[in-house]
Amino acid sequence: MAYKCSRCKRDVELDEYGGVRCPYCGHRVLLKERSRDVKEVAVE
Amino acid sequence: MPGEYDVEFVERGDREARFLVRGATPAFANGIRRAMVADVPTMAIDEVRFIENSSVMFDEQLALRLGLVPLTTPPEGEFVEDDVVTLSLDVSGPATAYSRDLVSGDALVTPAEENVPIIELKEGQRLEVEADARIERGQTHAKHQGGVAVGYRHLQRVEVVGDLEEFEDEESRIVRGVIEDEGELLNAEEFDNDLAKRYPGKEVRVEDVPDAFVFHVETDGSFTVEELVTRAADSIEARADELEEAVQL
Amino acid sequence: MELRVTESADTELSIEIGGEDHTFMNVLKGALLESDDVTTATYDMNPEQSGGQTEPILTIKTREGVDPLEALEEAAGTVREKTTSFRESFEAAA
Repeated sequence: MAYKCSRCKRDVELDEYGGVRCPYCGHRVLLKERSRDVKEVAVE
Repeated sequence: MPGEYDVEFVERGDREARFLVRGATPAFANGIRRAMVADVPTMAIDEVRFIENSSVMFDEQLALRLGLVPLTTPPEGEFVEDDVVTLSLDVSGPATAYSRDLVSGDALVTPAEENVPIIELKEGQRLEVEADARIERGQTHAKHQGGVAVGYRHLQRVEVVGDLEEFEDEESRIVRGVIEDEGELLNAEEFDNDLAKRYPGKEVRVEDVPDAFVFHVETDGSFTVEELVTRAADSIEARADELEEAVQL
Repeated sequence: MELRVTESADTELSIEIGGEDHTFMNVLKGALLESDDVTTATYDMNPEQSGGQTEPILTIKTREGVDPLEALEEAAGTVREKTTSFRESFEAAA
């Protein structure tokens, strides 16, 4: 899963063993980035 | 008996006009009005594909704003249901994305209003979308309404019946719409809506003229007032045709 | 426009006109009432009240010896003539 560390702004890949922690700076707050997919929205 | 109509313009602009129709029944006048509001189809953005949206607003909010931008609607018959025109928009901050930034794939369908702000983008924010516009009736969604302010009033005939008594206080007499004074049509706004200003010291009588309706029509820019009115008449006619044909079978 | 006759007699007819609303129904009713052959013309937009929205139902009663279906056909023609004549007058003024 692709996240971004909220302190050092680096991209972080999380696996299921490492827990929620930035491997570069140890910060525990990670942000989920918006997917690059094109999103279709109907006007309602 | 089919009415012989008499139409006369009081004020005329591309997007806004006032005209008098004589010889119409209230049912017919209302049918035309309702058709202008809800039955004449216009183009509007119906689906939006967000390629990038790093602005502060949700995709759905921006989609609604894009949907409400009035688009010019091509001549009747040029487009049918499910025909799609694609418009794209790509704006990077710091800047404000306006309706004029929508680039259309078809010269017949472009934003009717250039300066509708869509969103203010700050440094590093970007909005890139592709939008599909479709033709639909106002009944399905307000964004497809071509007539935005459509209404009518009776024409009012003003008659001077005598003089006010010498020491009587002048009281204001407010009227709205259009009056007819010895055959001349006059918008009441021209005398501040006050008959006492136009006929000082006179006693006047105001009465509705039967079967004479003053329409006030304003469009959203999709087409001109004339287009809107003729298309409204066409839409009722098409249904009458359909009914006549269906009954004959 | 889907038509469905719900009641029919010599001088009386009830017909459901699918997909229409007051815009057309009221104009049509007005046109029917202009005819001398028609004694009654009315329409009901929600005949089953809140029990479920149905299509408008037009009811016509005619003079003895006049087929209500023919009166309806004639009224449809009247509406068409009205719109044509209105458009012509409008375009002449515009």
